[in-house]
Amino acid sequence: MFIGKGVSKGIGIGYAKILKNDEIKLTNFKVDDKENELKYFRKCLNDVVKDTQNVVEKLSGTEADIMNAYLMILQDPTLTTETERLIQEEGYNAGYATKIGFETVEEVFKNMDDEYMSARASDIEDMKKRVINKIANKSELDLSNLPENTILIGTDISTSDTAKLNLNSIAGIIIENGSENSHVSIMARTHEIPAIVGAKNILKEIKDDMYIALNGETGEIYVNPSNEQIKNLTNIKKELETEKEELVKYKDKETITKDGYKTEVFANIGTPKDMDKVLENGAEGIGLFRSEFLYMDSDSMPTEEEQFNAYKEVLEKAGDRQVIIRTLDIGGDKDLKYLNLEKEDNPFLGYRAIRICLREPEIFKIQLRALLRASAYGKLSIMLPMISSITEIRDAKKIIEEVKQELKDRKEKFDENIKVGIMIEIPAAAIMAEDLAKECDFFSIGTNDLIQYTVAVERGNEKISDLYTKFHPAVIRLIKMAIDGAHKSNKFCGMCGEAAADERFIPLLIGLGLDEFSMNPTKMLNARKMIRNLNREDCKKITEEIMQMETAQEIKQRLTDYKNSIN
Amino acid sequence: MLSKTITLENETGLHARPATELAKIAMKYPCDIKLIANGKTVNAKSPLMIMSAGIKQKTDVEIQCDGEKEEEAMKEIEEAFKNNFGE
Repeated sequence: MFIGKGVSKGIGIGYAKILKNDEIKLTNFKVDDKENELKYFRKCLNDVVKDTQNVVEKLSGTEADIMNAYLMILQDPTLTTETERLIQEEGYNAGYATKIGFETVEEVFKNMDDEYMSARASDIEDMKKRVINKIANKSELDLSNLPENTILIGTDISTSDTAKLNLNSIAGIIIENGSENSHVSIMARTHEIPAIVGAKNILKEIKDDMYIALNGETGEIYVNPSNEQIKNLTNIKKELETEKEELVKYKDKETITKDGYKTEVFANIGTPKDMDKVLENGAEGIGLFRSEFLYMDSDSMPTEEEQFNAYKEVLEKAGDRQVIIRTLDIGGDKDLKYLNLEKEDNPFLGYRAIRICLREPEIFKIQLRALLRASAYGKLSIMLPMISSITEIRDAKKIIEEVKQELKDRKEKFDENIKVGIMIEIPAAAIMAEDLAKECDFFSIGTNDLIQYTVAVERGNEKISDLYTKFHPAVIRLIKMAIDGAHKSNKFCGMCGEAAADERFIPLLIGLGLDEFSMNPTKMLNARKMIRNLNREDCKKITEEIMQMETAQEIKQRLTDYKNSIN
Repeated sequence: MLSKTITLENETGLHARPATELAKIAMKYPCDIKLIANGKTVNAKSPLMIMSAGIKQKTDVEIQCDGEKEEEAMKEIEEAFKNNFGE
């Protein structure tokens, strides 16, 4: 048995499929029969063309346009001129000639001073890989068409690979690298696929089609599990299913305490794909749509149209529910290659999120145009991340007004009274909450960053992870300041960090008067059940006690005891 | 040989989709068709070469058609430019 870090709970049993992304080692040996080698190259290229044609047939709309362009480039004789010359004249083997020949074309694109064009180099690179794979007779794993009960295993799974996955056929995911907050981990939790990260050296032990079982909570991985192990795991699986069925009862219920205090449970999402899970789990709204995944799924800046379509899709599915979309929150641990951000010594204290948007308004405006246009299709609110001062809100609102005017000139429809709120994730913002509330329509507390910045502990640092805690009295006091600050101006205050789903923390948040709890969709029903078991008046008393406490340990103990007394 | 200079109005420039659109038209005609922009001359029948010229919005592009059916080719290409390649 192997142990990794469980990041998405559930039991997965199935057959391994290895996602290889290592490059084939190509040597520059020469061949005697140049003509035959050239014929072989052309055959392989043609096979890739045919494979692509098969994919294109299944597509429609923008996706089909993009792949048709890809197909034409693939068939452009200029693409292979250098490769064919290397085979015909220099006698290099097809694989090596493809590598060098295609890379010449890649270079041309990489060196262009146009971001869009330089990003096309990755298309050429992709074509190169596929032709080389054909030449080496290596079959590619078709992620959109995996057999049922696949356990997908790899060193890492890229954002674009994740987007291709047909989720219904995946029984589990195991990766050697990765962390709890990798895109693949978040995706797995949203779609309830058991997943384990940090499974060091697992690829040495597992081959394609081996029988594998995993427990996404404990991080246990079983290779060729025994009958008894399977029996145990199946029992755990049944328990989890019963638990889930129990929760389904809360799907259409109100989020209200026993004594009638009404609040709301919202969902955090990353892509329009997540909406099905959101509705299945009875969300009363979307508290956080992390728009950066649109940017991370793409090799170049997503266009206004691409963004508009994604936002519109979410709004249409959400119906009359509120949808809070956070503007680009990139930088820190989330990089975008095509933005060419400089490496910084302290990325979490550096050039990220709203700081980028205010300094590069052209990028910001593309997103704002898309957001405003989408606002005609539902109840959209804009949320600004990483706000540390009132000036930033004012500057951002000025840009929003400019874009509104632009759209008016273009005669586009949009919601003139669109709500603009901010994330409270920097202590400065929590301390200034009362003043900030006068300048915006709502707050949402992002606990993950708020904790990190308050106690000066980086989230990912294992050595001092005991210091990173939401139970720190300073963190709780800042949360209180944010909620009170919002309420003073009759604005609503939500929370979209992990703390909002924590059963120990919920009574405290009810006591403090939080208006909206936003979380991973799979946790919503559990949170609603918890809230329905609480009394606001009792929660207020507990909160008063907590506010008098001096240490995180005391607070954690008190809230844990209280939670246990409820269940 | 025919030659004509047109200003590209396409917002995103001659990127992948319009470039392939243009090459598709060019390939229908037997004559030689070239684009000259930013000091580069490229074969209009190769989407890759068109893209590599990096032609952005508001760039003047000279179109040269030389050979059989050059008039028809010029007319259709001009039309495509005017329609912003359907974008």
